Amino acid sequence: MRAHGFPEERVRARARNGAAEAFPPVESYGHEVFGSTGTTAVDELDAARLVPPVFMPLRLEKLIDLGREPLQSDVDLATRIGGFASALPVYLSAFGSTRIGSSELSVSASRQAAELGVPMVIGENVVPLTGYRREASATTGILARIRAYLDASNPGVGGVVVQQSTEDADAEVWNLVYSDPGVEPLLATGRLGFELKVGQGAKPGLGGMTVLDRSTAARVDDQYAIDDLWPDSGVLRSGTPGTFTDEILRQQIRLMRNNFPRARVWVKLHPGRDVARAAACAWDAGADAVTVDGAEGGSGWAPTAFLDHVGLPLAECLRRIGRPSGCLLASGRMWEGVRAVKALALGATAVGLGRAALTAVDTDPEHGLRRLVECLAFEARLLISALGKYSPDVLAAEDVWFAGRSDVPALSSARS
Amino acid sequence: MENATSVATEPTVDRRPPPPARHLSSETTRAALRIQAAVLTAARAFLAGEGFTELLPPIIGPVTDPGSRGSKQLDVDYYGHKYKVMTSGILYKQASLLAFDKLFFIAPNVRAEPPETCSTRRHLAEFHQIDVEVAGATRAEVMGIAERLLTHVVRHVLTSVPEQFEVLGRDPLAFVDLLAGPFDVLSHREAVAALHRLDYPQSPDAEIEWTGEELLSEQAVRPFFVTDYPKGSRGFYDRESTTEPGRLRNFDLLAPEGYGELVSGSERESDYATIVTRMRETGENPAKYRWYLDVVREGVPRSAGFGMGLERLTRFLTGLHSVWQVNAYPKIPGEVSP
Repeated sequence: MRAHGFPEERVRARARNGAAEAFPPVESYGHEVFGSTGTTAVDELDAARLVPPVFMPLRLEKLIDLGREPLQSDVDLATRIGGFASALPVYLSAFGSTRIGSSELSVSASRQAAELGVPMVIGENVVPLTGYRREASATTGILARIRAYLDASNPGVGGVVVQQSTEDADAEVWNLVYSDPGVEPLLATGRLGFELKVGQGAKPGLGGMTVLDRSTAARVDDQYAIDDLWPDSGVLRSGTPGTFTDEILRQQIRLMRNNFPRARVWVKLHPGRDVARAAACAWDAGADAVTVDGAEGGSGWAPTAFLDHVGLPLAECLRRIGRPSGCLLASGRMWEGVRAVKALALGATAVGLGRAALTAVDTDPEHGLRRLVECLAFEARLLISALGKYSPDVLAAEDVWFAGRSDVPALSSARS
Repeated sequence: MENATSVATEPTVDRRPPPPARHLSSETTRAALRIQAAVLTAARAFLAGEGFTELLPPIIGPVTDPGSRGSKQLDVDYYGHKYKVMTSGILYKQASLLAFDKLFFIAPNVRAEPPETCSTRRHLAEFHQIDVEVAGATRAEVMGIAERLLTHVVRHVLTSVPEQFEVLGRDPLAFVDLLAGPFDVLSHREAVAALHRLDYPQSPDAEIEWTGEELLSEQAVRPFFVTDYPKGSRGFYDRESTTEPGRLRNFDLLAPEGYGELVSGSERESDYATIVTRMRETGENPAKYRWYLDVVREGVPRSAGFGMGLERLTRFLTGLHSVWQVNAYPKIPGEVSP
């Protein structure tokens, strides 16, 4: 697989080498000196800088607490994400139903997410397309992913969140999952969630898209728009994004809480211009987490017009939301520590890995994701400690500087 | 969902159905089924006397009443199309108003309830409803019908098969308050407040939880109505109040002594655009309801109606511990049974 427009080689290097990749090649140590690499930023969040202060009252607090000078290893990254305990402020985003997202790689990713102790989202459209219950020995699909996660996880941490979109409602994915005996261990430990997918960053306002061969397309054609675009390769299958108003969103969340009282409720928003209002509506209706997928977000398949020209960048979404009134999750081009820490400082509780996670398991199915996330966590500890802070929840907008913006940051003090 | 689920909790590991031969030949089963037969006779006589026509309900269709509280629908392959086994007759009841103003089904329904409901004493995956619908009726009018129907049924079974109550050791005095009536009416908001006074953490935005229903039911001496459930707790066909947005013009009827919900009903939404919008609010894809929406778009009468759970009613009458005891071939959620 390839991930164009994404720092694919750097992600692959991390998947092979882990936290060592947080530094220049070690062979150059003692032989070279280093400065800014002058890398061109692809968006405003990448262009922003983290800005440690000189005076660090929170470091003093930590010093008093520890009775010694704090180090980066004293940064505690454990947090709660959308109702789940998580070892890190990171979760695995949905991969969706493209060939890559449904393959055995996604099962490897599930296992590694469980080992890392971070929550995982399973994408929409997996069920209508690939079916729910295949033979018990099936090595792909939703149950295989849940099994892999359960087998590798510690009962106290993480969680599995299953998406359902408008088409999935036909297959009643949530009902199937909620009543499946194989899922009961997740429910019993409070680790099952359901995500209402309102939209995604790579194609705001559109539903899921996949390229199918003609025979598969014929099987599902009453549920989807089919465009015969590639005579030699197949057809485009487009799902509906579904229709939302504030009342529809509010009531769907309430219905989820009513019908699935033992599951957590997550909502995934595309980077719409009213994203702040939509997020507030979701929290107000009782959502345990709201994910904002910035326009930089990846996708299995999307029209190029949308990739470059539609939707708000993640930084602007976070700015519009300001101080979140619930658990805010951010995704879109996440792969390393500094972008993650910026997002956390701008209000997010955790960041989602999508393309990066897939690229990592594609590089090394056994350990790629674990190494990638370990490198991210290592960087995050360095960065957060440099800011004079020792847990992600005290990061604030004061920690981020946007070139050319002289206005007061939206979040001027530490979040409680 | 029509006749939405409700529950008492109490694991009953030693209270599971015996093998079919033993279950069918037990005196308890026979007595319960004789009472149930008398219930059906009485219900049919009462409804016929009120001018209702009995229709036979469809068993399968392209779509059915959407699930709630985690219950799921069963699929059948119908000439290559995925059909559903009916979870309730609501869609057909509304459509049937084009033929008759007052109608009822004795309808078999199948809901694959979540396995945790196997210990509730009140859930069967396969059960029956006395399913009533009245064109032009208000909620108050169908609540009146439900109350008179229940009262008539109780009076009839006590006089027609008194010996069966003796076999079961069920004291007829248990129904004195019911027969004296009238049934109390409590709004959802009042029910939530009552539960909060009992230190029960009931969400004001959701269905009354099974344990909460049992708590309220235990405190009552005769059946009582709970009305005005919040939107988000019920299906798209329950009409929303115009004077109190966010509240539905619906009701449940709960039995006393902890037996809980017997009936669920409402005024129905009949406006096409509102139904489509409400489908979205309940997370449904309108496309799969095409036949129903086509009928509604042409126009169906305003109506109100309810579903009365036959096995739950029989359990209340018999005073038996678990609802499976009143069904000849009980299907307990999550268990493989004949």
